[in-house]
Amino acid sequence: MKAGDPQRQQGAGWLFVTPAILVLGLFLILPIFMALWVSLSDWSGRGSPFTSETSFVGLDNYSALLAEPGLARQDLMISFRNTFYYVIGVVPLQTVLALSLAVLLNNKFLKGRTFFRTAFYFPSVVSSVAISLLFLFLFAGGGAINKVLAWFGVNGPNWFQDSRGLIHIIGDRVGLWSISDPPSWMTDPSVLGLSFWQWFAGPSVALSAIMMQVVWTTAGTFMLMFLASLQDLPTEVEEAAMVDGANKWQRFMNVTVPHLRPTILLVVTLGFIGTWQVFDQMYVMTQGGPAKTTLTPAYLSYQAAFTNFQWGQGAAIAFILFALIFVLTTLQRWLLRDKDAAAQAKAERRQRREARRRPPGGGAVAEQSQRKAQTT
Amino acid sequence: MKHRTRRLSTLVAFGLTSTLAIAACGGGEGFDDEGSGDGAAATDGGGEPGSLVMLIASSGDAETDAVEEATAAWAEESGNEVEVRVASDMGQELAQGFAGGNPPDIFYLDAAQVAEQANAGNLYEYEAEENDDFFPALQEAFTYDGTQWCAPKDFSTLALQINTAKWEEAGLTDDDIPTTYEELATVAETLTEGDTTGLVISPGIDRAGAFVVGHGGWWLNEEGTEPTGASQEVLDGLSYVQDNMAEGHFAYAGDVDAGWGGEAFGTERAAMTIEGNWIRGAMSNDYPDVDYTVAELPEGPAGPGTLLFTQCWGIADASSNQEAAVELVNHLTTPEQQLEFAEAFGVMPSRQAATDDYTESFPDDEPFIAGGDYGRGPINAPGMGQVVADLNSQLEGIANANLQQVMESFDSNAQAVLEQ
Amino acid sequence: MSAPTKEETTPVEPQIQAVGESKPSRLKTYGFYGVLLFFAILYIYPFIIQLVTSFKTNPDATNNSLSLRPDPFTTQAWETLATSDFPTWFGNSVIVTLSVTIGRVFFCSLAGYALARLKFRGRVALFTGLLAIMAVPGIVLLIPKFLVLNYLGIYNTYPALIVPIMIDAAGIFIMKQFFESIPVSVEEAARIDGAGTFRIFWSVVLPMAKPALITLTILSFQGSWNELGHFIIATNNPDLYTLTRGVAGFTTGALGSGNQYPIAMAAALLMTIPTAMVFILFQRYFTQGANTGAEKG
Repeated sequence: MKAGDPQRQQGAGWLFVTPAILVLGLFLILPIFMALWVSLSDWSGRGSPFTSETSFVGLDNYSALLAEPGLARQDLMISFRNTFYYVIGVVPLQTVLALSLAVLLNNKFLKGRTFFRTAFYFPSVVSSVAISLLFLFLFAGGGAINKVLAWFGVNGPNWFQDSRGLIHIIGDRVGLWSISDPPSWMTDPSVLGLSFWQWFAGPSVALSAIMMQVVWTTAGTFMLMFLASLQDLPTEVEEAAMVDGANKWQRFMNVTVPHLRPTILLVVTLGFIGTWQVFDQMYVMTQGGPAKTTLTPAYLSYQAAFTNFQWGQGAAIAFILFALIFVLTTLQRWLLRDKDAAAQAKAERRQRREARRRPPGGGAVAEQSQRKAQTT
Repeated sequence: MKHRTRRLSTLVAFGLTSTLAIAACGGGEGFDDEGSGDGAAATDGGGEPGSLVMLIASSGDAETDAVEEATAAWAEESGNEVEVRVASDMGQELAQGFAGGNPPDIFYLDAAQVAEQANAGNLYEYEAEENDDFFPALQEAFTYDGTQWCAPKDFSTLALQINTAKWEEAGLTDDDIPTTYEELATVAETLTEGDTTGLVISPGIDRAGAFVVGHGGWWLNEEGTEPTGASQEVLDGLSYVQDNMAEGHFAYAGDVDAGWGGEAFGTERAAMTIEGNWIRGAMSNDYPDVDYTVAELPEGPAGPGTLLFTQCWGIADASSNQEAAVELVNHLTTPEQQLEFAEAFGVMPSRQAATDDYTESFPDDEPFIAGGDYGRGPINAPGMGQVVADLNSQLEGIANANLQQVMESFDSNAQAVLEQ
Repeated sequence: MSAPTKEETTPVEPQIQAVGESKPSRLKTYGFYGVLLFFAILYIYPFIIQLVTSFKTNPDATNNSLSLRPDPFTTQAWETLATSDFPTWFGNSVIVTLSVTIGRVFFCSLAGYALARLKFRGRVALFTGLLAIMAVPGIVLLIPKFLVLNYLGIYNTYPALIVPIMIDAAGIFIMKQFFESIPVSVEEAARIDGAGTFRIFWSVVLPMAKPALITLTILSFQGSWNELGHFIIATNNPDLYTLTRGVAGFTTGALGSGNQYPIAMAAALLMTIPTAMVFILFQRYFTQGANTGAEKG
């Protein structure tokens, strides 16, 4: 760097980053502040929000959404409930499916690996709109899925019209309660505007169909990440375990899984961030229905602003969602970190040193493609 | 910042396409301009004088073509330009237009939306020529706060459609056409067989509401100031639907894998359905082989009851071409033009002057027209959209719903909105 | 789901085999390929149904959804698409995707290079800011971005579709990481020869960054071609709709009544083809991206 003229680098440096700063500032940072203002105002969506017609209403929008009983809070809570079930369904399933596919493909004797890998990965590069149209067709009442179910004597539900919650259905089947006449100990107590019966509905049949679609779509990308990590597994370690007489399952749990731990952590974190933001599928497939069981905070925020003219509330929902994602991912990192944290950190440092020596395609490539896969 | 930007553009010349350069500068300069200006959103809305944008929610090619033809004729005659756009999501596209200060100059507006939009100041108030010739019920439907905001475009009412083949198969005759709710339930039971359900309706208050009206109830009081959802009449109307669903004679379209009543009827999963005369187009296009007859909705305990649907030609307050827009509306609402629309895509004219000709050409639509005398328009109060949406979503599960609870929650939600 | 499945079909018979000096037994091989094939069908069959359905009539598609033989065979859906707004949307998608991709690759490289190599005041702060921005979930920005586009008066224009998604914090991050891995000596040699900073960047460093550039190109292409949220809020003018925006409207009744499955399937298929082509051509790089990501842990 001695040869560099510091003065020139000063100017060139700023010059090089100016376009990026300009665009990010204009379309990321400025919007956040504008939205913050709107979320504190009563703007009705007409003309500019910065005229005297729009007035400051303090935290009214937030309190209508979080504190006061009413439709606004009810809808937000429904959307949280839906997304909660969505997240705890999708994240584990897609992680397990991705890992399973990766383990299958990692078999040394496998022929046609490229073919299978391509097949499993392909859906994650396809537009969510195209996939959604396809699944609307597959999951139609007389669609392919129900035709296949019929082979096994199962009378498939009318997926995207069915608002019954899975927990409700299971409870009904085992005789715990009757869906048509829910017990009063479930319907009477209510928290934040929703009764226990509503909170513990589980994902609706319609939401489950979307969950299956998302798991199917995104597992491929995560599979690639697991596959890469599996190929790094030093053979000696596994051989040593084998000499110890460990069977396959033991080897998998005691050798492979610990080795994959960082990747699992990454996949789960990315999964969390992506699933809480789910929007495209709701926009294309269900518009929040049936009976609001596929309403998510992201879609609700969009709907509040763009169809109900409640821009303040819409912006407020966006900020609440932002805060929620931030808190949850922090919490999750902290939870999954605890024990081997120290050892982990050391390993990470070593990996980073190695990574620096190797020319990578960029550490964040996959992370970014993940985010795309999740949100699109 | 400025001089850096200029230096940047020299750099950009190195290897960038011109599109990008324009795009990048466009963004940057726009910000500077607005920053130094008064900050009001740019209103390039109406465009140059003489050019109008019309946004329609089309039922299909027939409607789009007919509207385009009619506007083109006017445009040629008057020397204006009209661009007809078909919305894929009317509500959202309108909202973005209003917020962006560039709404379409003229657009379809549902009666249920008038109060909302008028209240937000989005509508331009006008009166078309010969306003008194519009059906009084329709003038009323577009009146909010003592003002009629726009000219009724057309209307429809709900009637009962009956699949002729299924009707005869079940051994029913013309004498059996139901005139009371009891008879309706009875024939529905008779017609329910195998894959076929007696009566299939689209979910929500826009269908079930007819039975509420038949029982003498309504969601709000006459003045539209107080909710009356938990009143006995409303509950009776909804219970009627609920009970028949429980017995399996009635079903929602979704339950028989259809998007709406007409689709269920067309695929013959339904022996009867309740729709407006828009079902005609769908039947002749998609299910030309299904024969059916149309009857007025049966009378309820409180007399005849049906729902009335209507849209008007809304004109935007932000339009810079309101005069031309009103002229266009005048052209589109002449009796002759309304009859042409009727011919092309089967809408019923909103003008009384056109009614006789209409019934002459479409004698089968008599039951729909008849509903015009006693039909009830939609809930028309600002802010009710979400409340109604919530009620609709709860009524999707009507089969298992506790109606008392559902209507009480509707009342408290509506109360909160109406008080504002 | 299937990790245990595989184990089940190959019951406890540890030793040597998995690591692999000897071949597994025939039965186990069948079981193993059986499982793989099941998943392959699960992943491929939907796309085959999609293709076939696009040549069916709507009643045929509705009633025989699983059948692989259109009866009757018709190209009606494709003709309808060709005469609809679909070509406009396709054109818009091409324009937007190309612009975004070229812009993103160029500007992100530029910024990434500055952050990796050039010494200037505020660099560290900028990088920290960049990491913070990467943490903002994109979906919460829909309303805010609409407000800004409106405020700037570029709502309903091509720049509104292109510019906001042209720079991507993650893209800058990728390029920065890569540039840091290139030996400094090369640039110093060029500098001694008297080349300017941009010259060095453009003719010395950038050519060396080909793998990263290709990766970024693919990600940008895929990302902007498939983007939906931003296009919803950036325009309400049908002339500016991209494929995602336009085709998404199919489900909200833009085609009139009914489901119109064949048209929807044909549209979905058409919008998949460009992505599929890029995917097949550059598959190597897709995989590479994931590889390096896993290392990062």
